Amino acid sequence: MTESLIVLYGALPYLLRGSLVTIAVVVGAMMLGLVVGIHLAVGQVYGGRWLRRLIVLYVWFFRGVPLLVLLFLYYFGLCSLLHINLSAFTVSVIVLGMISSAYQSQILRGSIMSLPEGQMKAARALGMSDRKAVLLIILPQALRLSIPGWSNEYSIVLKDSAVAYALGVMEMMARAHFVASRTYEHLPLYFAAGFLFMILTYLGTKGLRILEEKVRIPGYSA
Amino acid sequence: MADTIPILRIEQMTKRYGDKEVLKNASLSINKGELKVLIGPSGGGKSTLLQCINFLIKPDKGRIWLDGEEILRAKGKALYDYRQKVGMIFQDFNLFDHLTALHNVEIALVRVKGLNKGEARDRAVLELGRVGLTEYMHQYPAELSGGQKQRVSIARALAMDPEIMLLDEPTSALDPELISEVLDVIRTLRSNGMTMIMSTHHIGFASEVADELVFLEDGSIVETGSPVKILYQAECTRTREFCSKITEMYGNASS
Amino acid sequence: MRELFFFQPDIVSALASGLWISVQLIIPSALLGIIIGVTIGALRVYGTPSIKAMANGFVLIFRGFPLVVQLFIWYFGLPYIGIYLSPFVAAVVGFSLCSGAYQSEYVRGAFLSVKTGQTLAARALGFSQIKMILFVTLPQAFRRALPGCGNEIIYLIKYSSLAYMITCIELTGQGKIIASDSFRYTETFMVIGALYLILTTVAAWLLRRLETRLHIPGFEQYG
Repeated sequence: MTESLIVLYGALPYLLRGSLVTIAVVVGAMMLGLVVGIHLAVGQVYGGRWLRRLIVLYVWFFRGVPLLVLLFLYYFGLCSLLHINLSAFTVSVIVLGMISSAYQSQILRGSIMSLPEGQMKAARALGMSDRKAVLLIILPQALRLSIPGWSNEYSIVLKDSAVAYALGVMEMMARAHFVASRTYEHLPLYFAAGFLFMILTYLGTKGLRILEEKVRIPGYSA
Repeated sequence: MADTIPILRIEQMTKRYGDKEVLKNASLSINKGELKVLIGPSGGGKSTLLQCINFLIKPDKGRIWLDGEEILRAKGKALYDYRQKVGMIFQDFNLFDHLTALHNVEIALVRVKGLNKGEARDRAVLELGRVGLTEYMHQYPAELSGGQKQRVSIARALAMDPEIMLLDEPTSALDPELISEVLDVIRTLRSNGMTMIMSTHHIGFASEVADELVFLEDGSIVETGSPVKILYQAECTRTREFCSKITEMYGNASS
Repeated sequence: MRELFFFQPDIVSALASGLWISVQLIIPSALLGIIIGVTIGALRVYGTPSIKAMANGFVLIFRGFPLVVQLFIWYFGLPYIGIYLSPFVAAVVGFSLCSGAYQSEYVRGAFLSVKTGQTLAARALGFSQIKMILFVTLPQAFRRALPGCGNEIIYLIKYSSLAYMITCIELTGQGKIIASDSFRYTETFMVIGALYLILTTVAAWLLRRLETRLHIPGFEQYG
């Protein structure tokens, strides 16, 4: 027992540095997912028939193929096919980001569609182009409404980031396994890693709840 | 007296949804400073007509002239410029929920008209003062009463300096005690010479302020005329039927 | 032609065996996951305070730890206390418990959404707690939980690929082997991806059909 604690204690700094890698992957993926997701959502709600079909196809694909398969496909397959040399970290961020964008787009789309029709009408009546109306009126409200869904997506992406281990990214899980295979203290180390993930989840969702309060519009309950 | 060229003229406005024709060849014109009121049963096409005038609904057929110039199938910048000249007030207010009253009035000034923030701010404060809402400038729509919301939306539309205002049942969503504050504002607009087309169920108010009543039923303009004529001496049977019921219910004193 | 490469007998049989392992992973895990989910969900709603606390604790851990970590615990961690599971068994255990925790969320939500009036009426008629759950609450809760639980199974189909990480060679694992042998990574994984896509799409379609079949008019509104 005490031996395990000693190992854990010694491994902690190493694991914690891994949490920085995890955070980097997650932040990168969420940001990519957000930027792409906003475009997909707006395109799906306000776009023409073919754009909508294309987006539905994209969403179907990235929600239907497993993360691990996409990671392998991108890292081993596409990279050599297109002769690009991307690090495992970059590929992980891109793949997690693209998958997340598919889910995020649907969250945002739901929020946009829940807004009263009159918001867009009033904006147009004042002479705003659709583009201005979406940017100034629709998105500010829809994004606020999406924060709870986004928080949920964050916790999913955080847990999925552990799969990046399969490409050799030295995030928390990879480091735990690395130490474990040398010290044979598998169980304590994996539990430690698991709890670290839980802490990160808690911190993230707490932070997002604070954000939600900060941007809340007085009296607004949609 | 009124100018010879009408400020707004529409001809043969038609709109169909599936096999239902909700607007059938509606034509009307209005001179500067006039107030015309659309009356008629619900679903008769009043709202559709108003929303066709600023192309929120795309009419299947019809022509529009603003100030003598025809608005041809408007798209893009031409449409946005046109809409700046036509103000619209909605039954459901449609204030931008994420902005304060002040920002609601400012936003189109800055983002559509292109004023700088200082000018926009001054104008917005002025307009809100005109409708009596200076103390409520920094409140959000969710914190305002219905009557206050509607007055903000009037300020928002007026700040754009429109040539004509379209009011789509401006008081239908209001609690009775809040209606008069909005009607007062409309009266003030009238006496300041704003050209307006309004649809309403308030026959009493309509007959008080309107230059002309327009009776719409089933998408067609059945009859137009002065308030007294339409309400009490209508030529068409349908008009007489509708108006007798209405004057019974709403009375002929101004509300 | 390069494409015909994939219809060579040994490649096809390797993929087929991988697919078979995947199916053998998914079906038991899905069933066990539902059973665990319904049980835990019911305990979280109808249990005594201490049972509720334990059930909630279970869910907290199994939803809080990433699935990868859980799989590693079952396969690499248990030997630490003397239990040795095969990759396949460890995978099924890991998937079932993790999925069960997520399922319990939907089940719990569904139970809570049944209007209290229903339970009052049932008790007034003399139903015991268990009978009430079985005959009044469950039929309604089942329909409410169906979309969420169904989606959870679709997630399971995708996450079954993680069994590879604890050396259980299912479809993804076979793909990696084929690809590294032949260096045809892109094609291999596109085929693998397409196979999963077919699985998830069919599953989603079945779910939608089931939802339509069981649909009761006016039932969507939550109490």
